[in-house]
Amino acid sequence: MKVSKRRNRVGAIAKKELVEFVRDWRTIVAILVIPLLMFPVLFILFPLLLESEAAELQSMEVDIVVQADDLPDVLYHAFNGSSLGITYEPMPQLVNLSSPDEDGDRLRNGVVDAVVRMRMNGTIVDYALLYFSTSEQSLEARSRTFEVLAAWEDNETVRRITDAGLDADETLDPLRWNGSFDEADVATKGEQAGMALSLFIPLVLAVWTFSSAIQPSIDMTAGERERGTLEALLALPCTRMELLMGKWLAVATITGAGVLLQIAGLLFAIGYLATSDFISVPELGVGALALLLLAVMLFAIMVVAFELALAMRSHSVKEAGSILGPAVLLILFPALFTQVINLDGIEAYWFSIPVVNVLLALRELLMNRVVFSHVVVWASTSTLYALAAAYYAARQFKREDIVTSLS
Amino acid sequence: MAKPLIVVDGASKSFGEVRALEHVDLTIHEGEVIGLVGSNGAGKTTLLRLLAGVYVPTVGRVQLADGRAIHSARQTIGVVPENTGLYSRLTAWENIRYHSRIHGIGDEEAWKRTLYFSKFLGMQDVLHRHTKGFSRGMRQKTALLRALAHAPRVLLLDEPTAGLDVTSARTVRDLVRQLGNDGGTVIYSTHQLSEAQRVCDRIIIIHNGEVRADGTPARLLESTETTHLEDAYISLTNDAAREHEPSDKPLGRWAKWWRSVFTPRAPIEVDESE
Repeated sequence: MKVSKRRNRVGAIAKKELVEFVRDWRTIVAILVIPLLMFPVLFILFPLLLESEAAELQSMEVDIVVQADDLPDVLYHAFNGSSLGITYEPMPQLVNLSSPDEDGDRLRNGVVDAVVRMRMNGTIVDYALLYFSTSEQSLEARSRTFEVLAAWEDNETVRRITDAGLDADETLDPLRWNGSFDEADVATKGEQAGMALSLFIPLVLAVWTFSSAIQPSIDMTAGERERGTLEALLALPCTRMELLMGKWLAVATITGAGVLLQIAGLLFAIGYLATSDFISVPELGVGALALLLLAVMLFAIMVVAFELALAMRSHSVKEAGSILGPAVLLILFPALFTQVINLDGIEAYWFSIPVVNVLLALRELLMNRVVFSHVVVWASTSTLYALAAAYYAARQFKREDIVTSLS
Repeated sequence: MAKPLIVVDGASKSFGEVRALEHVDLTIHEGEVIGLVGSNGAGKTTLLRLLAGVYVPTVGRVQLADGRAIHSARQTIGVVPENTGLYSRLTAWENIRYHSRIHGIGDEEAWKRTLYFSKFLGMQDVLHRHTKGFSRGMRQKTALLRALAHAPRVLLLDEPTAGLDVTSARTVRDLVRQLGNDGGTVIYSTHQLSEAQRVCDRIIIIHNGEVRADGTPARLLESTETTHLEDAYISLTNDAAREHEPSDKPLGRWAKWWRSVFTPRAPIEVDESE
């Protein structure tokens, strides 16, 4: 009976917090809609933007100056047949061809987009290409000029090898792959998918869990304190622990929904962008999946309790924001470091470091690797950290001064 | 003689070095309507918070007459804090229902009581409106409905008429008087002595954290040998009132220094000898 009453009170608190959250469309957009759309927008619109920019560059008219006294005929025809606007000039008297001299001003002022200098040195053509690296137009001119030069060089190389009585194909490509690249990898598509996803899902999960819990944590603690709604609540027949549990449940639900939507958006974007060969569903055993959920749950308990505690310590929304905002670095740095840690032969102590332990566990489990000793270490230390965070939060909620706000 | 309900036994409350309440002894009986009268920072809110179980006394006890701790009786207490504490994204009824659910009262029962009292307060048409646009009076009445929905035995009201228009203030006072007539116990803090005189059976004057007087209006006049309550109040509180809000945590040394760096001084030095 007592347990059921306690559950009802915790449920009532969580439900009220969720109703209030749902009614504020701005927070819905910030915490649910943005994570859902972030990756699809990034993965779908960004390539489209790049494509349109590339097309624009392709249609751009670029003018170059070719400075040479005795240009090989084939190269001369190659330049004339290209999409470049060409002006030929005699070669100036220079020791070093890459020295800009007066051509520097012409490039800076946009009079020409690139200058190619070529000088015969026996059977070799010495050359330099002057350009202005902060101008898109000049970079495009450089790129097109290189294409012309590279094509000429390839043909010239083949011609010279053939003239010397050798087979150009054999000479230039003495080592060749035989068969299919895909067949040679013994990892299954599912294992490859697990590997690929393990590189960014833990990062996304960790950072978004922390950052999406900030706003609701502040609103439900320092916000209540600032708005003066906490006093009436503290006079009700619910314990501070029930209050913490109700609020924790609400923040964890909101954060969980945000993280799930973000991962759904990410997988949708990958599926849309690439063919099914690009990435498959990772092969996860039931054990790995269960442990994955456990790791996420322990991490969420720790993070949300920690944030609620810090926010409850604060006297105002402003103070809580200025503490919790930079605190995201406590997650971001370990998350970035964890991405580069080699999982093969990793020492068990890595799985005891706060935050790092859960991120490494997620990486291993997404690759369907269940290493008993690692599981014992991360599960026990994560439980310990989650309990410590919950204890810290409970202490903050039991403070008597939370009834007052800073004015 | 009415039965004693709550006993405050030598209760003091301190916040760091600040003593908000000093050695308060009170017995609150069933059916009493008590007015706590005092200036800002006198300790009225601190006493109400002790009675609500939100604060624990630093010294002494606040308990039910049967010896149980006050926090175990929160089920039977209704509280209206000074700033009402309503959630603006919820409707008036949702605010009421939220508290009554935590009290363990069914929605139907809470709704019946809310409807009954809302007719008295003229609030029946706005119960399903969000409280965001509510006037101060409507907020106060909603908070009253919320505090009454679980049928409390004791009602604690922190300045319930502060900032209300004349009509709303009278409605609130009439309700409090009605509750008292029906046998309810109400503890009511106010700045206004005349209001306490009209509504309350017993007046407690608090000044600088001390109870300076406790009794019926007639007893107060008799003990101070005055003919008006205002004169009685002045004679009991003739020492200067403290300026700070005692429940505010004092600033630390560094915080105080940092704030002083960015606080401008007076533009002109005034020579006091002139």
